[in-house]
Amino acid sequence: MRRTPPSGSHPATRPRIGAGTSSLTGALVLLALLTFYPAAFPSFITLGVTIVLFAAMASAWDVLGGWTGQLSLGHAVFVGIGAYTMALLVLRNGVAPWWGAMVGMGASVVVAAMWGGVTFRLRGPYFALASIAVAEMTRIVANNWARLTGGAEGISLPTLPLFLGLDLFSRRVEFYMALILLGLALAVAWWLQRSRFGYHLQAIREDEDAAMALGINPTREKVWAFLASAALTSLGGSLYGIFLGFFEPRGMFSLDLSVQLALMAYIGGAGTLFGPLIGAGLLVGGSEVLRIYFPGKSLFVYGVLIILVVLFAPDGLSTAVRRARRA
Amino acid sequence: MIQTLLALALAFLLLGTAGGISGAAPASGEPIRLGAISSLTGSFATFGSMERAGYALAVDDINTAGGINGRPLLIDLQDDTSNANTALTVAEQFIRSGVPLVLGAYSSSITKPLAVYMARQRVPLLNSNSADDSITKPGSDYVFRVGQNTDAYVKPLFGLFKQLGGIKTIAILVSNNALGHSVENSLVTQAKDGDYQVVFDQAYDEGLTDFRPVLNRIKDIGADVLAMSSYEADAVALMRQIKEVNLNAKVFAGAGATGFAIPSFLKGGGEAVEYVITSAAWSPDVHYPRAHELFARLKAFMGGVEPSYHAIRSYAGATVAADALRRATTLTPEGIRETLLATRLTTPFGTVEFKDFNGFHNQNPLPSILMQVQRNKYITVWPPDVAVGKVIYPTPVWTARK
Amino acid sequence: MVQFVQIVVNGVFTGGVYAIIGIGLSLIFGVMRIVNFAHGVFLVVGMFTTLFFFERLHVDPFLVIPLVVLVGGLLGIVLERFLLEPIVRAPEHASILMTVGIGLVLSNLLLFAFGDAPQIINTRYSTSTWHLGPITFSTALTIAFVLTVVVIGGLALILERTDLGRSIRAAAQNADAAELQGINTRRVRSLVFGIGFALAALAGALLLPQLFAHPSIGPTYTLKAFVVTVLGGMGNVAGAIGGGLLLGVTESLGAAYVSSSYRDAFGLAAFLLVLLLRPAGLFGRSRT
Repeated sequence: MRRTPPSGSHPATRPRIGAGTSSLTGALVLLALLTFYPAAFPSFITLGVTIVLFAAMASAWDVLGGWTGQLSLGHAVFVGIGAYTMALLVLRNGVAPWWGAMVGMGASVVVAAMWGGVTFRLRGPYFALASIAVAEMTRIVANNWARLTGGAEGISLPTLPLFLGLDLFSRRVEFYMALILLGLALAVAWWLQRSRFGYHLQAIREDEDAAMALGINPTREKVWAFLASAALTSLGGSLYGIFLGFFEPRGMFSLDLSVQLALMAYIGGAGTLFGPLIGAGLLVGGSEVLRIYFPGKSLFVYGVLIILVVLFAPDGLSTAVRRARRA
Repeated sequence: MIQTLLALALAFLLLGTAGGISGAAPASGEPIRLGAISSLTGSFATFGSMERAGYALAVDDINTAGGINGRPLLIDLQDDTSNANTALTVAEQFIRSGVPLVLGAYSSSITKPLAVYMARQRVPLLNSNSADDSITKPGSDYVFRVGQNTDAYVKPLFGLFKQLGGIKTIAILVSNNALGHSVENSLVTQAKDGDYQVVFDQAYDEGLTDFRPVLNRIKDIGADVLAMSSYEADAVALMRQIKEVNLNAKVFAGAGATGFAIPSFLKGGGEAVEYVITSAAWSPDVHYPRAHELFARLKAFMGGVEPSYHAIRSYAGATVAADALRRATTLTPEGIRETLLATRLTTPFGTVEFKDFNGFHNQNPLPSILMQVQRNKYITVWPPDVAVGKVIYPTPVWTARK
Repeated sequence: MVQFVQIVVNGVFTGGVYAIIGIGLSLIFGVMRIVNFAHGVFLVVGMFTTLFFFERLHVDPFLVIPLVVLVGGLLGIVLERFLLEPIVRAPEHASILMTVGIGLVLSNLLLFAFGDAPQIINTRYSTSTWHLGPITFSTALTIAFVLTVVVIGGLALILERTDLGRSIRAAAQNADAAELQGINTRRVRSLVFGIGFALAALAGALLLPQLFAHPSIGPTYTLKAFVVTVLGGMGNVAGAIGGGLLLGVTESLGAAYVSSSYRDAFGLAAFLLVLLLRPAGLFGRSRT
């Protein structure tokens, strides 16, 4: 079921509905390879955690942004909810962080349901703009509602209980937790590639009105995609909170963070299995390389890279590579 | 195919980073290497360049004077790009490469996650310039701070108020960030202790800075003192708009140093910042050895740019680190942590020692000073034994100035 | 009462500058369907261009405005030609990404050129005021407001009375139909992006005497521009004026009477409500 490029205003092709089973093997091999990372690069585990964690969150973003085509620039809200719910429950109620992360996930799902229910009638850039507004307002409230969040001064995590005998603050443990989360996100993406629900989402992305004509209820399907995306992002946020050990609303709910997740997915290839992972590797790993080799110029090179990708690989690097191989 | 490509890309990236770090280490001699993390790029880069100057001159001086028991000192300064993730990545590489002590970082929002991480790794962190109280309160056994905390910034203001007399009410306006709230808390607590009445207390969201509405409110309420805390740009905008809306107070105070206590405040503010009293960590007027000389050298090093107290504090931080290295019996993190505890060193910045008091842990108890802007220059006016000029009080009302 | 009037007056004057930021964004969206994430950075480019002339040539910042506008316009046309025209048919996220990239590159170029210390200039009128009865007016803000009114008036004339204006309006209503009518929509897009950049640069020049310039504050202004544009209706140029004034007054009143720490939230809340309830903006006819 390969689609011909839609005619008219969107000739940029998206030939990716129903990719083969090779991608599953690919994903498993990749995850297996990554388990050796901490042993292979013991001095760069922190970097590894950041890459894998952001890859997981970018994949989570992609469920809504790539597969469903709803550009959200407010996903930091779920990162923040995940981190804050986990941390506040530990600090105030002594709830173990893994239960806190579950509660955070629930809270994120509720927020996403309300958010999506209200704003999904907006299309295209209007939805994106609304997502910015929601995220910025959340940041401002989190910053000022000190009694709930600890306010602008941020919060520090206390000593956490062991999780199945593992120290959650160990970078190695954090790496494998992030890897599990990435596996989960990849599994969801793989499922979207081939399931009926996934086809619905892709149909909505390509042409919402046509999808409706086929009997798909776009708002309902979009809300489901949003819930899944929010839940996964929220788990990533909880882990990110543990990774940082200290955080403040300004960083956790920042527009920068939301834009970063979207950029990673787009640069790697939105709505593809490996796109967000490639994007995260390039942007996080790349900025570390740039920081060392081009001190002070890394953001500049980053900007140039974005421009080049848009000009020469408008569907992301993974799609461009695949197309080059086929040609 | 895709996965081979991915693996290759990943390998390239990681090897690339590894090469970068080892390439930065010198090949000759047997220097003792310390790590330092600062914001050389990004939003805190102004202060990062001050820190770099301080570290560089300190290393020069230490090595000219014989280094660490004959071995040269090397401070490997890495950029955190004003980003906490990067600071953590750099810290891990430092620790894995066997660095026994890390200096840094600048911003409290980076230093706090860094401090949490270093404490867990049991490697001491020596901070020079982050002001937020919570870094050393409660702090940890592995975090040491050379610079003053916000409580120390606020304290001399109340000393001055008491001496001046006639002050009863205080209005507080701070930036809505960690530093701002830390200053706000110190102000509120110390005002209560001194029986001053806080008549207005708000934070403002950073960004576009139209302060006129809130300044008009304060003008309506009226207060003897307007105490503020802001970063660089907001401080000038605030004072300009205070002049514009014709808001008068007996004292305009920069209670958190930072934006009110750096040379660009004078340059940008012009006549609008005249008579402002600001707390500061240091001025060349303090009578510590070589203070004036160091100030001049830092200025030359920075190509004529006037150094702020951040540069001097970083200089002091590196000096303290070298002192601990010299006294340490073993050059391990634990060995250095123990010698740091026994630090008592007079630097051009002032005396540095690490004490536990009022809930603080490993905090240098150095008091801060007050400076008043007089004829577009900072004049040290407090404490009395350091002061080189008299406080002009009360601040002349705007209409009476010419 | 005096205080209330004073606060409203301040809000209106600040709103004038917001309006000019929003008009450029709205025009670009109307004709090109691009949500310009670099808009705030364009404004900062205007600030630094003004700063450059002020410091090197020692000319009053308000006098170099024609130069700044010219530089902005040319930059806009060049950027459109080389970076946006090639992706004119790509999906909308491509243009969003592109403008994010352009913003990053421009702000970092400013960083290399001017350093990262906030730059503040001091002019005679930076803090001077004039009075009308008990109400105080900032001189810098007043000059900015007057110039804003003049420029908006001029722009309205161009859009209503000239061939160029008619082409722009035609392209905004229906690009394909305009093309069929013999309008060179490619040229129109370049010009519109140039005008948008020039207006943002102008806003930067107007703000410099009272605020500060820093290479990385662009996004703050971009967000303001989004709010203004949505309040007025995306693509609705006249609406952007109303949106700007409304935002200015809302922020002023909110900061004065509710809380200054929630200042930005007031505008955003209005933004979200308008987006949901009146997607065509407060001042627009509902579009199908």
